[in-house]
Amino acid sequence: MNYPVWQLEWAGGGLLIALIAVFHVYVAHFAVGGGLFLVFVERKALAEKSASIMEYARKNARFFLLVTMVLGGMTGVGIWFTIALLNPAATSSLIHTFVFGWGIEWVFFACEILSLFLYYYTFGRIDDKRHLILAWIYFGSAWMSLFVINGIIDFMLTPGDWLVDRNFWSGFFNPTFWPALFFRTFLAIMLAGLFGFVTAVFIRDEETRHTMVRYCGKWLLGPFLLLLATAWWYKKSLPVDLQELIFANMPELTVFIKMFALVSPILVIGGLLMAVLRPQNIRRPVAGILLVVGLIYMGCFEFIREGGRRPYIIRDYMYSTSILKADLAKVQAQGVLKSARWVVSRQVTDENRMAAGREIFNLLCLSCHSLGGPLNDILPIAQRFSPSGMNAFLASMGKANRYMPPFAGNTEEREVLADYLTLGLVHNVPRVKPSIVDLDVKPYPYTPDAEYLLAAWALDGMSFTSNPEQSGLDFSPGHPKIRAQLIRRGEAPELMSSEIKISYVVTVNGVKAQGEMASSDGYFQAELPELANVQQPYHLLELEASSPDGNILAKTRVMVAQSSEVDCNHCHGQDRAAEKQGLSRATAANILERHDTRSKTALKARFDKDEVIVCASCHADSSRDMAGSERVLNLSASIHGFHAGYLVDQGAGACSFCHPTAAQGASQSLRGIHHNLGFDCVNCHGSLAEHSSALLKAESAAGKARAAQLLKVVGETSVPVDSIVARVPWLNMPDCLACHIGFQPPETDTAFNQWTKESGQIFHNRLGEEGTLFCAACHNEAHVLYPARNPYGAKLDVQQPQQYQGNSLPLGANRACKTCHKVDMDYEMHHSGSLADFRNVPEEEVGRVGVEVKEE
Amino acid sequence: MDFRTLIPSPDVLQVHWAWFQGLLNVTFVLHLILMNLMLGGVLLCFVNQLRGSTSRLDRFVIGKIPFTIAFAVNFGVAPLLFLQVIYGHFIYTSSVLMAWSWLSVIAFLIIGYYGVYIYGIKWEALGKARGFVSGTVACSFLVIAFIFVNNITMMQVPETWLRYFDNPKGLLLNLGEPTLWPRYLHFVLSSTAVTGLALALYGDWHIRRGDNEKISIRQLGLRWFVGSTLAQVGVGLWFFKTLPPEVRSFSGSLPAWLFALLLSLSIIGTLLSIVMALGRKVRPAAVVILATICFMVGVREVVRVQYLAPYFSPADLPIAPQYSPLLVFLFFFAGGIALVWYMVRLVITGLEVKS
Repeated sequence: MNYPVWQLEWAGGGLLIALIAVFHVYVAHFAVGGGLFLVFVERKALAEKSASIMEYARKNARFFLLVTMVLGGMTGVGIWFTIALLNPAATSSLIHTFVFGWGIEWVFFACEILSLFLYYYTFGRIDDKRHLILAWIYFGSAWMSLFVINGIIDFMLTPGDWLVDRNFWSGFFNPTFWPALFFRTFLAIMLAGLFGFVTAVFIRDEETRHTMVRYCGKWLLGPFLLLLATAWWYKKSLPVDLQELIFANMPELTVFIKMFALVSPILVIGGLLMAVLRPQNIRRPVAGILLVVGLIYMGCFEFIREGGRRPYIIRDYMYSTSILKADLAKVQAQGVLKSARWVVSRQVTDENRMAAGREIFNLLCLSCHSLGGPLNDILPIAQRFSPSGMNAFLASMGKANRYMPPFAGNTEEREVLADYLTLGLVHNVPRVKPSIVDLDVKPYPYTPDAEYLLAAWALDGMSFTSNPEQSGLDFSPGHPKIRAQLIRRGEAPELMSSEIKISYVVTVNGVKAQGEMASSDGYFQAELPELANVQQPYHLLELEASSPDGNILAKTRVMVAQSSEVDCNHCHGQDRAAEKQGLSRATAANILERHDTRSKTALKARFDKDEVIVCASCHADSSRDMAGSERVLNLSASIHGFHAGYLVDQGAGACSFCHPTAAQGASQSLRGIHHNLGFDCVNCHGSLAEHSSALLKAESAAGKARAAQLLKVVGETSVPVDSIVARVPWLNMPDCLACHIGFQPPETDTAFNQWTKESGQIFHNRLGEEGTLFCAACHNEAHVLYPARNPYGAKLDVQQPQQYQGNSLPLGANRACKTCHKVDMDYEMHHSGSLADFRNVPEEEVGRVGVEVKEE
Repeated sequence: MDFRTLIPSPDVLQVHWAWFQGLLNVTFVLHLILMNLMLGGVLLCFVNQLRGSTSRLDRFVIGKIPFTIAFAVNFGVAPLLFLQVIYGHFIYTSSVLMAWSWLSVIAFLIIGYYGVYIYGIKWEALGKARGFVSGTVACSFLVIAFIFVNNITMMQVPETWLRYFDNPKGLLLNLGEPTLWPRYLHFVLSSTAVTGLALALYGDWHIRRGDNEKISIRQLGLRWFVGSTLAQVGVGLWFFKTLPPEVRSFSGSLPAWLFALLLSLSIIGTLLSIVMALGRKVRPAAVVILATICFMVGVREVVRVQYLAPYFSPADLPIAPQYSPLLVFLFFFAGGIALVWYMVRLVITGLEVKS
């Protein structure tokens, strides 16, 4: 906020600091351990009175001088220069907090230089005792340099009590000071052995060479167990939340943790090989390789330590964006463009939108991301997102996405940045509005005198498919199902089932599918084949009920929806034109890659072998009777719980990232009366955070640890998580009677947190109080309650009311008892209030059959 | 846009700013001397090669350079540290504006450092390539000096910082700065002068012990010193003329007499040292030059305060007192000096015993 941003592009994302720092730290540790090595090699030469070992000591000292003094010393200054360029605010903070620490380090640096020069240039020119004292002074100074720097470096990871008292010593002797000091000391000693190999293999005298290589091997292997022990101590000294973050919740660090673990035995084996093998043509390359392996070892450690600080540069004090934690709320309220100094676009206008986005990008992204570079390249990330997906992702930062700092701008700036990243920085194809045309479907003619009434409805008005055959990934909640009830009309209507045959036929993409519904106790049911059409999700089924002798008793039409509008590509990328919908293979591949990274699975490899990955094979999904694995979350809890943290504060908008409910989408699956009255998903299911919390609580209660982790990051809920009632998916559903208490007009608009307790209470299974008719027979499916309005045609979803009543109201509404009974009735046998006036008559229905004009 | 709004807010100090200013001045004087020896020494070797000299003086000089580089860098770290404490918000900013060249200092330093080692160790084998090697090293160090002069001037002219918005990739320099070239020449000439004086001191030391073969070295050293310092008089005048009128006329916050006094002492010291050198009074000249460098460092700091006076005064810096780290630092600082003294004695007595 305070300083200009060095607009590195390719070389951004920490590449410079990684290159210089890893190299410097490697040499600097060698400079410490190597100092002790100088002492002991000279003592060995003296003790054994070996001129050849003494000659090795001298040559090794020259190598040491050239490497540590030039490369070590200069790159040390280089790190200082680099951090001041990349994060001046943090550097300034470290300089001002520890100026006298740096000063002390500088004193020891000076002593190091002098003692090393004197040591090297007095070889053989002063007596042994004095010469050894110089070596000891060198080592002491070098180790004290490490002592001081260690305090400051570890302060950045664990500032400890300094956060409260701002005391120099609290920050310096921070919680990881001692374990890190010992860890680094043992590492330094090992590196002395590693570097010692490089000089020892060039000793001319074979016996001395062999002796010294083995001696170096002892330096490499000797402290190894102590190194591991201090590494464990180091880890244990980290605050618990930091340990969890580094070792469990930061998949980006996994590779370095793995590498560190992998390289440890390689160093041991390499050291043993060096000790055992004598041939020069093996030893020399092995010595060189081990030196590189050591660099990788050091690099992994540094990446873990540096990465573990994320999203801070000084933990719990300053974010990597240079914004102080204490200032974040103020910056968010004021806006980053108004808070930062080095900004041109203080206000966002239509004209400067992209330029302002770039400035926000410079301020908030460039400190960690490169543009097209080898480290943290933002381009492939941006390519995965739609503007709204990116906007949601930005909002998740600091919450679900804990290794990134919270977005430090206001809502408008977040949208501007999302647009810049996805439309300005990369040119993702903007989504085009789907073309929704009237399907011109007419219901069967109004036949008030028909003998039979065939009521039919889909069990799920929101059905979607992940197009497994196309995408290779299957998380669809099973094929669509329809149910029907056939009623013989009369004063006492009769429910027909035995020996009646009901067949259906539907045409999708020119292909006809047909079948017969299975008869059950008082109703008929069928599971349909996949219906999804990539262009539009609605399909008209023709139903025909016939008697055993083949007489057609009744015909009707019912609309069945199965949408492929599963917009994972908002965040997971895609490889096709924007006007298409349906999960693509590229999107599925990205989802599986992320899953593999986060959950340590190997799904992508199977996917690449053309296997269709079925989520429910591990994540239980009762909508399709798959038990999954006992250890992992059920699909609903997992998929909602994971994404909740990424789709925060979006209301029902969060749902339409994945479900076909978007107001501008191709499906617009919410089309029943509640939607028409202005309700959305949240009224019944709660926000995504609340919905997820309910699902996760059930899984947590079942002992699944992952659920408890996710519960921490689902985002804010309107009621405390403790008071959210746990629910099992597909069983504990929003209960209609939560609002319509006793079937009466509701006094609340929130059904969230009052779930059905058993299968029979779920709306599509619930029967009227007479015990024979399904609620849905008269009202239609829960998301498509009559009078429903379908974007592809006003009468699409009201086939039966139109056919039997001449209007779009629920069957029997407004006392249309004749629809089944042929006569008026005066007893509310289906449910209380069933003879009352229908309260929410749509304007276009006024004047139709059975819908009188009300006079106020 | 008003460039004043770009100036970052400073961080909080732990002790009074005068502590840092004092430490800055002391360590910077030492850095200047070492840096002058390092650059001047390399230039001397290069000129020696250009002239086709057959003397082995360059070999003697180059052998001492690694030592001066190591300490020039070490003694550069300290003043840069203390400078950042007082003026961090200015120098971090100017550094970012010229980030690539600022960072390249490290690369040039490593090239120069290894070049010096190669020159010294492979002196025989290099033969005529010595000119190339010493030229490369000299160029590296001259470039470093140029980059430093750019940054140190750019940090005190925030009015030039708006250029960032046209060039945010760290590729700026401060080439429009009127004092840039005279300031640069001032430092280059002082390096040859100080190196000349150091050679003269070396020659003088031997001559005093009866080694008259070193007369030519003393002569050479004094020639370099006098020539450079005479040229410095002209460059100094040029430098002074290019200073902004408000800095020159001294209308800022510090008392005018301080500037006048320090500047006068610097000029007197310079002229006096020339006179002494011409009279072959090497040691008095060295003492005078040391004092003059101290005065010049004072002038430099005063001028910086004047440059920044419209926007900032070190006295404005907030302080949250914590004196124990300072005390511990002073303890180690004194201990370091004692350790250096101990090591030097250890080696000198050791050499005497051995011989």
